[in-house]
Amino acid sequence: MKLFAQLRSWLKWIVKRSHLENGMEAEVSFHIESYAEDLVRSGVPQQEATRRARLQFGGIESHKDAIRASLGLRLWDELWVDLRYGVRMLRKSPRFTVIAVASLALGIGANTAIFTLAKAAMFDTLLVSHPDQLRLLAWTQDDRSVVGSMWGDFYPDGKGHSLVASFSYPVYEQLRRQNHTLGNLFAFKELGGGFDRLTATIDNHVEMVTGELVSGNYFEGFGVGTVLGRPIEPADDIAPGGGPVAVISDAFWARRFGRSSAVIGKAVKLNLVPITIIGVAPKAFTGASHVEVSPDVFLPLSMQPVIAPKGTSSLLNDPDIWWVQVMGRLQSGISENSARASMAVTLDQAVRASMPVPKDGTLPPLTLIPGNRGWLSYTDRQLEQPSSILLALTGLVLLLACANIANLLLARSASRQREMSVRLALGAGKARILRQMLTENLLLSLLGGTAGLVLGYLGRDVIPRLLSSSWGVAPISGRFDYRVFAFTLTISVLSGLLFGVGPSWQATRTIVNAGLKDSAATTTHRRKGFAGKTLVIFQVSLCMLLLVGAGLFVRTLVNLNAADTGFQQKGLLLFAIVPPRQRYPAPKNIEVLHQIEEKIAPLPGVESVTLSVEPLLAQTASNDGFFPDGQPRRPGHEQFALLNSVGRTFFATLRIPLLYGRAFDFRDTPTSPKVAIINQALARKEFAAMNSVGKTFKTEEEERYEIIGVCADAKYADLRTDPPPTFYVLYQQQKDARHGMTFEVRTNGDPGGVVTAIRSAVQSVDIDLPVIDVRTQTDQINASIAPERIFAALTAGFGVLALLLASIGVYGIMACTVGRRLNEIGIRMALGAQASQVLLMILRETAWLAAIGVGTGLGAALLLTQFVRSMLYGLKPTDSPTLAGAALLLFAIAMLAGWGPANKASLIQPMQALRHE
Amino acid sequence: MGKQVDLLQGTLDMLILKAVSLGPLHGYGVLLRIQQISGEQLQIQQGSLYPALYRLEHQGLIVSEWGESENKRKAKFYRLTTAGRRQLQSETEKWNNMAALVASILRTTSEEI
Repeated sequence: MKLFAQLRSWLKWIVKRSHLENGMEAEVSFHIESYAEDLVRSGVPQQEATRRARLQFGGIESHKDAIRASLGLRLWDELWVDLRYGVRMLRKSPRFTVIAVASLALGIGANTAIFTLAKAAMFDTLLVSHPDQLRLLAWTQDDRSVVGSMWGDFYPDGKGHSLVASFSYPVYEQLRRQNHTLGNLFAFKELGGGFDRLTATIDNHVEMVTGELVSGNYFEGFGVGTVLGRPIEPADDIAPGGGPVAVISDAFWARRFGRSSAVIGKAVKLNLVPITIIGVAPKAFTGASHVEVSPDVFLPLSMQPVIAPKGTSSLLNDPDIWWVQVMGRLQSGISENSARASMAVTLDQAVRASMPVPKDGTLPPLTLIPGNRGWLSYTDRQLEQPSSILLALTGLVLLLACANIANLLLARSASRQREMSVRLALGAGKARILRQMLTENLLLSLLGGTAGLVLGYLGRDVIPRLLSSSWGVAPISGRFDYRVFAFTLTISVLSGLLFGVGPSWQATRTIVNAGLKDSAATTTHRRKGFAGKTLVIFQVSLCMLLLVGAGLFVRTLVNLNAADTGFQQKGLLLFAIVPPRQRYPAPKNIEVLHQIEEKIAPLPGVESVTLSVEPLLAQTASNDGFFPDGQPRRPGHEQFALLNSVGRTFFATLRIPLLYGRAFDFRDTPTSPKVAIINQALARKEFAAMNSVGKTFKTEEEERYEIIGVCADAKYADLRTDPPPTFYVLYQQQKDARHGMTFEVRTNGDPGGVVTAIRSAVQSVDIDLPVIDVRTQTDQINASIAPERIFAALTAGFGVLALLLASIGVYGIMACTVGRRLNEIGIRMALGAQASQVLLMILRETAWLAAIGVGTGLGAALLLTQFVRSMLYGLKPTDSPTLAGAALLLFAIAMLAGWGPANKASLIQPMQALRHE
Repeated sequence: MGKQVDLLQGTLDMLILKAVSLGPLHGYGVLLRIQQISGEQLQIQQGSLYPALYRLEHQGLIVSEWGESENKRKAKFYRLTTAGRRQLQSETEKWNNMAALVASILRTTSEEI
């Protein structure tokens, strides 16, 4: 109670400070005057009375101070005084302030930018109402699961099972009907990535967009409305094909429609199906799959058979294919376990009702996974390790910057000894001085933190933009919210405390009378400067660590770039054609692709053209069973191999040498016997002799192929994996080219002009077919190693920064040492020491510092680099050339930094030094 | 003239509360009343009154408002709040209990041990 009243009173007086001051003055005058009057009344003359009254009152100013102290205003006043003093001190030494604020800004800014990224990768949640209530339905699949076909992602959990979050539509409908424990179930299916994108025809302009099929109660389930128009409603989701409407995302609205309100009611075509745009989603809404990036369009699930057909029948009443994802909300009062248990029973019933269940089949066991980060952000842990490592590295850089500032402050406190001695002599307590120094340091660190926040804000999109490819998915944009702000504030304050506490405490240990004397040197204490030296050794070891990290990642990148891909990547142009199924059901899509192939081959600038289902080094692959005739079948996935369905000129265009047999040619038609070419790895794995021409095998679908050739190994999905066992088939001998194909064109000369010719060639075949994802094979390979490229660039940048900071540190400490030992050096020289001897003496000290720092850094590096083992390629974490190189570089730079002060020391004139008091 | 006694901070507060409890007073008035009710036996250093007054107001035990003094001059008057009245009561009790306890200790003769 008293505390509350005190707080209120304190606040009141802070605000009405002038009232307080005037009031005090008035009260005191009234008191003195009244007493004086009383004295006059008792016969004392006026002047004497006033004098006595004042005397009796006591010191007015000190009583006023006591009043201010009793109101709790003293701390406040002192804080202001300290702040003003701090600002003045910082202004008086602009060079120090600029260096300190700049290094802090860089350190804190880097940390903030990386933290935004790490937050997006690990913590950000969907911006919908109550995201923590959301639960995604999922189950684990084992070998005997009754579920056969799936359209969707599954995640191996390392125990032989996979986590799946897809259900068949009839099962979903039953779940919705019988559900009483989870609030309003709603469903969705992402149409994104490479394969499921939609062709959007808007005002005769064709482009590819990403989408999400959603149930009628999806927007209601998320508690999200639209900023324009209306959301998708249950009425749109009843009859198959009966809801030709779409809601577009805010980003798509800005990109394609310039945020004009005329977009509502606009007629467009998605996959050649006429659709009306009815609404625009809010900017913060990103759908159910991702946290940072939104699908361009939202369509009702009822439109699936028309817009994104799979196979011949509608998926909406197919009990065999599991594809739709289901989300619900936990209700208050029902625990998660009981909700899960009851939903599991409902699921079992629904599965049994929808399909025949064999006796030994396992029904999908239900689990609920948190839905607050969307499905893909939950499962895609790809960015977690790199983010954490980057965060650790930027932390080290910040630590380096703080060590630097601490050293600078130590040097400054040496020159502020006079000021400290005077304060102590006048009666300041140690705590008061500490408080003042801490205020100054926090002021500095908050200044650096503010600058860092601005830098971090400006740079928040740099890394995501570097990570994304120019033709691929839109980059994640870091969300700059209050959590980033809090993080920056915390590390600013921590930095301030870190670099401030040492020098501040040292300042209070000043010996008063020595400080007041003009000469600061009593004797050369060997222990003086110990703190500074330790700091510099610490800095050098940190720098060593960062240099080793940079070296490892740069060499990884170099190794990756130099890796032999097995084919000729230079001069290869890539683009994709995805014929919409509406117009091109199988086998029409194969025919149109062949038409395009023939149209492109004779174009000027085109040396040869081919196509493949999977582009190389694009982190995708197809696989199939590979069962050689005459050999016993092995169980499970052991007998799977990777496969690519390619064109006739594939090996010639990509320059993959054929070792035995022949490549595909005109003998191989859609009606001739099916043929395949296998690579060395597959031949080695399945056949004793490398020359397996003439042998036959069957695939999972029981198709028989004859091997007509064996080709050299080439990398498939990524650079890091060795060429996997692969077989190649001719696309014209396949039944379908469901997701379109990627064309590979070998150009001679500038690819730019060829692209225009290609576009018109494709348009002459079908004006509604867009040429998408145009890039060179080199671009594709670079995109596949984008994380490694960024890492190498960032760590190299950190390494350079660390070198700079460490060399400043070494220079500073040696300059300080020389300055302090000026007297001693003067005496030595007067007694006969040569300039070169003095030089060597200082250089020897520098060498010691550098050597110890490099040594400890080396030790730390050997311990810590084990953590990044999985990110390296072609070298061990304890790679000797890298370690040796980093050590030599750092030692050399440190010696260079120490040269300046050493040289200055050797040029000292003994008389000058001795007179320097 | 009584002796100038150095009072502990707590007792000064108590005396001020007592003085103000008998009616609203300005600072000088509080001084006079304390002198009066102590039968001129107690005199306090005048200036140290005000930090105490402000402290008591800070703690919510007394409130102040500007008014007119007897000779029509502007002065700040203090009066007791309910919290202050309660505080005065409890302090008085404590003081009396302590005084009785100390007195009884001092009264013990050597036979009672």
